[in-house]
Amino acid sequence: MSQADSYDDTYTESQVIMTSVKIIAPFTLTYGMFMSLHGADTPGGSFQGGAIIGVTVLMLAFAFGIEPTRQWLKNSFVVGLVTGGVTIFIATGLATIALGGNFLEYDTFTETFGIAHYWGMEAIEVGGVALIVAGVVITLFFATAAGFTPERRNEDGLEGVSDDD
Amino acid sequence: MSPIALTLAVFIILTAVTTALFRDVLSAIVVFGAYSLGMAILYTYLLAPDVAMTEAAIGAGVTTILLLLTIARTTRPPTDQLFERIHLPAVVVVGGFVLVLLTLLPDMYAVGTEDAPIWGGGVLEQTPSLYYLQETYADTGAQNAVSAVLASYRGFDTFGEAVVVFAAGLAVLLVLKREVFT
Repeated sequence: MSQADSYDDTYTESQVIMTSVKIIAPFTLTYGMFMSLHGADTPGGSFQGGAIIGVTVLMLAFAFGIEPTRQWLKNSFVVGLVTGGVTIFIATGLATIALGGNFLEYDTFTETFGIAHYWGMEAIEVGGVALIVAGVVITLFFATAAGFTPERRNEDGLEGVSDDD
Repeated sequence: MSPIALTLAVFIILTAVTTALFRDVLSAIVVFGAYSLGMAILYTYLLAPDVAMTEAAIGAGVTTILLLLTIARTTRPPTDQLFERIHLPAVVVVGGFVLVLLTLLPDMYAVGTEDAPIWGGGVLEQTPSLYYLQETYADTGAQNAVSAVLASYRGFDTFGEAVVVFAAGLAVLLVLKREVFT
């Protein structure tokens, strides 16, 4: 078995798992988005919602194989999720400072633009925390699944480390 | 304590102990997932749905998947023993710690009692938690007090937490010497 396809040595194609994930995945994604967007008024919040959005991708990877999912999911998309979340969070905080308030003092938005306090919270919850958590959950999954990359392994002279169970 | 809470507590303690005792790592991970699910149900029963959802999504879901992936990527020694051999000094230390904690248990307030300090000792003075419960909607327009504390009253702390999550993802990539996120 070559290094390239050794990633998926744990994958077994199962009609039952693939069919149930096909049915469940849209609902978990919707539920995760609902929880992120509606976290200010109902139990849950953007952390939990972001985690559920991330788990949807993990479910797809479990049903259809990690390697195909990795190729389907562009690296730039996950990088955008994580760094975009941090950027939106910082930008919101700096914007309130620029408007003469403290960090994340949303009332300055109300004074300047007439945007309610509530939407400032939503901005950092949905645009910040949810994106970061979803992206990091996906990152942790694919990083753990890959382990040490084969190229690096060759460079470090550690070739031949067993991948078998 | 109600029968439901008692059943859940017994279930959680049993799964926690078996997680520590199982010799086979795969069995330990599966029991640990059951433990997280029990904790999530207990949190729901204690009227903390926000924590319960985190426990169910992160504890029972993501952690179990990451641990399963880890043992799939590492070697697992075959074994005939079902349980780990019990290390007596460790049992003495842990047992002593549990006994110390149990002696403190009667001093704790019952769940939801009005005598708890969080309610101002039954006087219902203006305590922080009471302030949040009463004024959150007027201050922020949010109906979920937990979300309002996280995103509005303690926004800077949440900023730190979000950046810590971001840093944790980067740290894993650094440790595994990967340069791509997926």
